Amino acid sequence: MSGSALRVRITIAVMAAAVLPVGAFGLLLLASGSPGAITLVLIALVVAALVGLAVGGLLVSGIVGPLRALEARLDRITAGERVEPLPALPDDELGRLAERQEELAADVARRNRQVARAVDAITAWAPADGAAALLERAAIDAREALGLIDARIDLGDPDAIEIEERVPGEPRPVSADLLSGREMAGVLVGHAPATMRWEPADQDLLELFAASVAVALRDAGLLARVAEQNARLVALDAEKDDFLRGISHNLQTPLARIRAYADQLAGEVAASGGTAPSGEPDRRPAIIAEQSERLSRMVRQLLTVSRLDSGVLHPVAEVFALAPRVRRAWEALGASEVSFELEDEAGGWLALADPDQVDQVLWALLDNAVKYGGGTAVRVRLEVAPAAGRIRLTVADDGPGVAEGDRERLFTRYARGGASDDRDGTGLGLYVGRALARANGGDLVLEGAESRSPWPGVTAASGAAFTLVLPAEAPTEG
Amino acid sequence: MMIGGGPAGHERPARLLLVDDDSNLLVVLAEQLRDDGYDVATARDGVEAMRRLESGWPDLAIIDMMMPRLDGLSLAREIKARADLPIIVLSAIDAADSKAELLDEVAEDYVTKPYHYPELRARVNRVLRRLGDRLPGQRVVLGRALSLELHRRSATVNGTQVALTPIESRLLYALAANLGQTVSTETLLLRGWADTEDADPSYVWVSMRRLRTKLETDPNRPRHLVTVRGIGYRLEAEPT
Repeated sequence: MSGSALRVRITIAVMAAAVLPVGAFGLLLLASGSPGAITLVLIALVVAALVGLAVGGLLVSGIVGPLRALEARLDRITAGERVEPLPALPDDELGRLAERQEELAADVARRNRQVARAVDAITAWAPADGAAALLERAAIDAREALGLIDARIDLGDPDAIEIEERVPGEPRPVSADLLSGREMAGVLVGHAPATMRWEPADQDLLELFAASVAVALRDAGLLARVAEQNARLVALDAEKDDFLRGISHNLQTPLARIRAYADQLAGEVAASGGTAPSGEPDRRPAIIAEQSERLSRMVRQLLTVSRLDSGVLHPVAEVFALAPRVRRAWEALGASEVSFELEDEAGGWLALADPDQVDQVLWALLDNAVKYGGGTAVRVRLEVAPAAGRIRLTVADDGPGVAEGDRERLFTRYARGGASDDRDGTGLGLYVGRALARANGGDLVLEGAESRSPWPGVTAASGAAFTLVLPAEAPTEG
Repeated sequence: MMIGGGPAGHERPARLLLVDDDSNLLVVLAEQLRDDGYDVATARDGVEAMRRLESGWPDLAIIDMMMPRLDGLSLAREIKARADLPIIVLSAIDAADSKAELLDEVAEDYVTKPYHYPELRARVNRVLRRLGDRLPGQRVVLGRALSLELHRRSATVNGTQVALTPIESRLLYALAANLGQTVSTETLLLRGWADTEDADPSYVWVSMRRLRTKLETDPNRPRHLVTVRGIGYRLEAEPT
């Protein structure tokens, strides 16, 4: 477009240059009144116009052609394409224009290469490897990517770092601050070859590079701190686990001894028909056994909490009937003053779960029912949901029930129901129970006041009712 | 092979070696076991236990995990390196502990402290019942798609390792020891569960069904774990 505009302008100029003098001369001729002058002037004008047109055309193609070639080349340079060197041009304005363009092309190509290398280098940095490794790598990358003779990174206050004077003919000292946000981490200093032109764009690239080093350094610092904190947490966790395991072992060993003697004593007392001071059969050794069992369960519960925290429950699923386990758990509780009912509607279905872990849940549920049921009967009902392949065990009491506001809180750690101050317990039972149930592919829920539980009468409206759901299978041969 | 606990009245009482550093517990437990007709020897630590073993092998060892000098785990490993003596571990650590996994490699069973004596006795009896079963090798190859590594409680199914629970590996052990023959549901019940575990035939049925989904390529058309309806189960190797 510019080419055609230029073409028209030059052609008009040349034509004007040829036609105007002829026209002026013709006017003088006409004024002198020479006969036949009109014809002569007209012919001369036409000839001048034609000559002007021809000369203009020649001139135009000599100028516009190379200009167009240079323009097309510039387009390719701008687009980042590689261009062939120009053939030698005469030493005139056009030639110099081409030369400057050549230099520009080389500069752009060099800078493109530097940017590409810098980007490659920056994206390859691994702040996780630590600050020292990062600084070493970044100094090498700065040299290679930006074409410097040497480069190093000095950490600390940039004002305290001496900036070299430039000596003509010597390598040029260059520097950029390591700036991330407003934080100044240090300076990147180095030398560019004396032959290299150092332009604002080069300085900009160096500063961008230095800023990236600063960001990566900050990341490395953060990562190191996170890694350190993680390591400390893991160590603390392991310590806590070790402590709990140690405590557990130290408590369980004397408990084992108490239990063994109590069992033996209970056997002897039963065999000899011993009686308590009240005259009734002596249950005292049996109570010692029950209470040592109870203590040992509490210790185990603490150990389970620590495992929940570190996510290592590892349930080993076995096949078993729930009803006998419920009965045994109830007997182990030793709550003979509270009446107990077990309705087994499970039709022989077997639970698939870790029996030790299920025992812990049963114990917690029954213990809670006794503790919070206010002496009312504890009722347990077993049912199956055949389509879902689930067995459901509900433990209900007729006590005051669970206040609406306490419903979800109950399953959190250290939560205790009602007036917790004057009751014993760790506040861990339901928390551990739900976690164990879920780890075994089931759940532990509190039945609601309007619960659509399939068991009539088993709702929170009349006391508390908790349901343990576990995977189960039908007792069929196959 | 006719050995077993005293109450069952077999040919000779089963010999047990009881190892625990808690001398009070050692005395009480030894007394309880002797009352039930077992022939019980005791040792207070691993070193003493090894000395006792040199003068004669028991049928079963009951070992406490935490002991001075030679700890329970090391002792159990030492014993297993010399002979296939069944071991029950007594431990304050329960099954969910990471150390319990270590026990898997050396112990037939374990009982957590504080133990309930009838429970311990039931487990002793179950382990003794199994003494008659002997496997030909450590690895039982049943076909291209299935082999059992019961000593490691695992099976290889189509090249993939599958973990077995203690009960599953006990059932498979009994079946593999009688390869190609039907083993009655009643026998499997006795091999798999201690008599304190409320088990009835349905336990075997459900367990076998689950095993089939673990081990068979097509559980609906089993090639290895075959049901003999109304009688029991049979483990079959693929004809080569």
